[in-house]
Amino acid sequence: MVTAVNDTRAAATRPAPRTRPSGWVLRSLTAAHLLAIVGQPVFAGVYLSGDFDGLRLHALGADVVFYIGIAQLIAAIVVWVRLGLAWPFAASLVVLAAETVQYLAGMEGALWLHLPLGVLTVAGIALLFVAVWRRPLARPVKPEAGDE
Amino acid sequence: MSEGRGLSRRRVLGIGGALGLTAAGWLGASAALSNRPPVTGGELRSAVPLPPAFQVPLPIPRVLTPVDTAGGVDRYAITQRATTAEILPGVSTPLWTYEGTFPGPTIESRRGRPVTVTHRNLLPVPTVVHLHGGHTPADSDGYPTDLVIPESWGNSVHTGHDGHVMHDPRAVTSDLTRDYTFPMNQRPTLLWYHDHRMDFTAPAIWRGLAGMHIVRDDAEDALGLPAGPRELPLMIADRAFAADGSLDYPSIDRTLRTKPGVEDPYVAGVLGDVILVNGAPWPVCEVDAARYRLRILNASNARHYELEAVTEDGRRLDLVQIGADQGLLAAPITHATLPMAPAERHDLVVDFAGVPVGGLVRLVNRLGSGRTAEVMAFRVAREAADDSRVPDVLSTDLPEWNRSQAVRVRDLSFRAGRMGDGHGWLIDGRPFDPARTDVTVRLGDVEVWRLIADVHHPVHLHLVGFRVLSRGGGAPLPHDAGLKDTVSLRPGESAEIITRFDGYRGRFLFHCHNAEHEDMGMMANLEVV
Repeated sequence: MVTAVNDTRAAATRPAPRTRPSGWVLRSLTAAHLLAIVGQPVFAGVYLSGDFDGLRLHALGADVVFYIGIAQLIAAIVVWVRLGLAWPFAASLVVLAAETVQYLAGMEGALWLHLPLGVLTVAGIALLFVAVWRRPLARPVKPEAGDE
Repeated sequence: MSEGRGLSRRRVLGIGGALGLTAAGWLGASAALSNRPPVTGGELRSAVPLPPAFQVPLPIPRVLTPVDTAGGVDRYAITQRATTAEILPGVSTPLWTYEGTFPGPTIESRRGRPVTVTHRNLLPVPTVVHLHGGHTPADSDGYPTDLVIPESWGNSVHTGHDGHVMHDPRAVTSDLTRDYTFPMNQRPTLLWYHDHRMDFTAPAIWRGLAGMHIVRDDAEDALGLPAGPRELPLMIADRAFAADGSLDYPSIDRTLRTKPGVEDPYVAGVLGDVILVNGAPWPVCEVDAARYRLRILNASNARHYELEAVTEDGRRLDLVQIGADQGLLAAPITHATLPMAPAERHDLVVDFAGVPVGGLVRLVNRLGSGRTAEVMAFRVAREAADDSRVPDVLSTDLPEWNRSQAVRVRDLSFRAGRMGDGHGWLIDGRPFDPARTDVTVRLGDVEVWRLIADVHHPVHLHLVGFRVLSRGGGAPLPHDAGLKDTVSLRPGESAEIITRFDGYRGRFLFHCHNAEHEDMGMMANLEVV
């Protein structure tokens, strides 16, 4: 309750940070990204279980994930420009780089790289999903003197 | 205040750094621990000193003389017997052989002229002969339970994968001898015959039960390809030698009588550390500075090769592929290197004309390491005239099947699994059972099969040749050209093949030709009705 009182008082002095439209776009794309990439190991499993169509779904899924990755990077650039938040861009860039390597490793059949990098990429996107949804995506408030 | 509620910059960097290090560390570990390229089995180490490469002259297996050619049929007799041979210089090695030699004698046949081979089994175990790549009626195709029982076998029963009696009501066994008749109504090519006994194929081939069989016709003879002494059949096989000179093989039951299978480290396949060509270790062959036709068979149980011909100054000679498993390509294909899975055959022309007299051309294996990176060598001995040629059009009779002709598409998975109480290799989740029909096709039907592998599996169909339509969802590789009977799937890879099931009704097989996988369940029945 004390916290609520404090929050109310803070809200009175400066507006509560709210996620801007550019932030919502980034959040949506990150959610879609997570949804799509978790399908990849599923399709890989279907394929190796002896269903040839699993490979097509895995390849299609790779394209979808990659396109979402690019869209997410663009959204992160907008968030950086509009809201001054750079970390979503940096994180999205790392994810897209990993996905590019992952894509090529898959095409090459380099399973020693494709399997661990795939797991890591899913983990990375899950972390990013948490990061963009746990707090409002808004212009960071300049810390007042003595705040640190 | 925002940092007070959330994470400090230092902590964010710390967590990020830890995640980054974890990722980089494990990816590095994967790169370091993984076999790149992947290996296809456990490698045995020979316990005897190995000879230097390129000292032993290349032997050419003798061509078997028919015992009778009356009535338009060539009749041959082959005795299967144990013997001892000097494979490594100064080392005496017991073998199981066809006619006393390893490889067995080569059978030369003509397209459309039937061959009957009477096999007599003087070995201590039952045997059955399969002509790999033969377009053969079911009763002569060497079904794994159609055993020829030797006199010494007595009343022993044949046991299955897990030690239980494997009952096959359709098995046709015979005592001591059996006639195999091959109509030879098929494209000219290099075939090979080998033992195909249920559960014990791999150790039987390892001990020496393999030989070559060539089919020819007038059209191929008229092409002007290198011929006679400039045509070399080359059977490549890896082996390992125990301290007593015998061929080392990690069978659970070294007598090959009751319990099948290999020791655990070798369930993925058995690899040897000695590369034999026509039964000689890393041999050398004297050649003219001219074109040679190399008819290469990978008769190894599990070892894959990627062949490359290299001169002493590091120059790579073109491998001009003129034929595949099931005969001539439509047109020659030039390869720099050529991968080769167990049971595959490549028909190649290599031109030694540009090599100086005295020069050595090594046939190397880019998938090998240490001594297994060498296969054999050619010593260019003399200049010579060469009237051979490689025509731009090699054949016009390759079957062209379209997807639209296919009446059925089947998905078949080849992967590891449990068999009985041990490790096995399964097709569509099931180990081989002779009493179960896995796939039924109608005579004359065209089908597309989509084969999916977890690790390397060279998949072989009996009775028919096929075309490779796609690999890994994309275009076939250059060496998938022509008519195949064995397609080499790589880890996680799939291939689509198309064929027409024609010729003969009856019970046939398809299986992985990693011979250890084949013995550990990766085989299935193909019923043509």
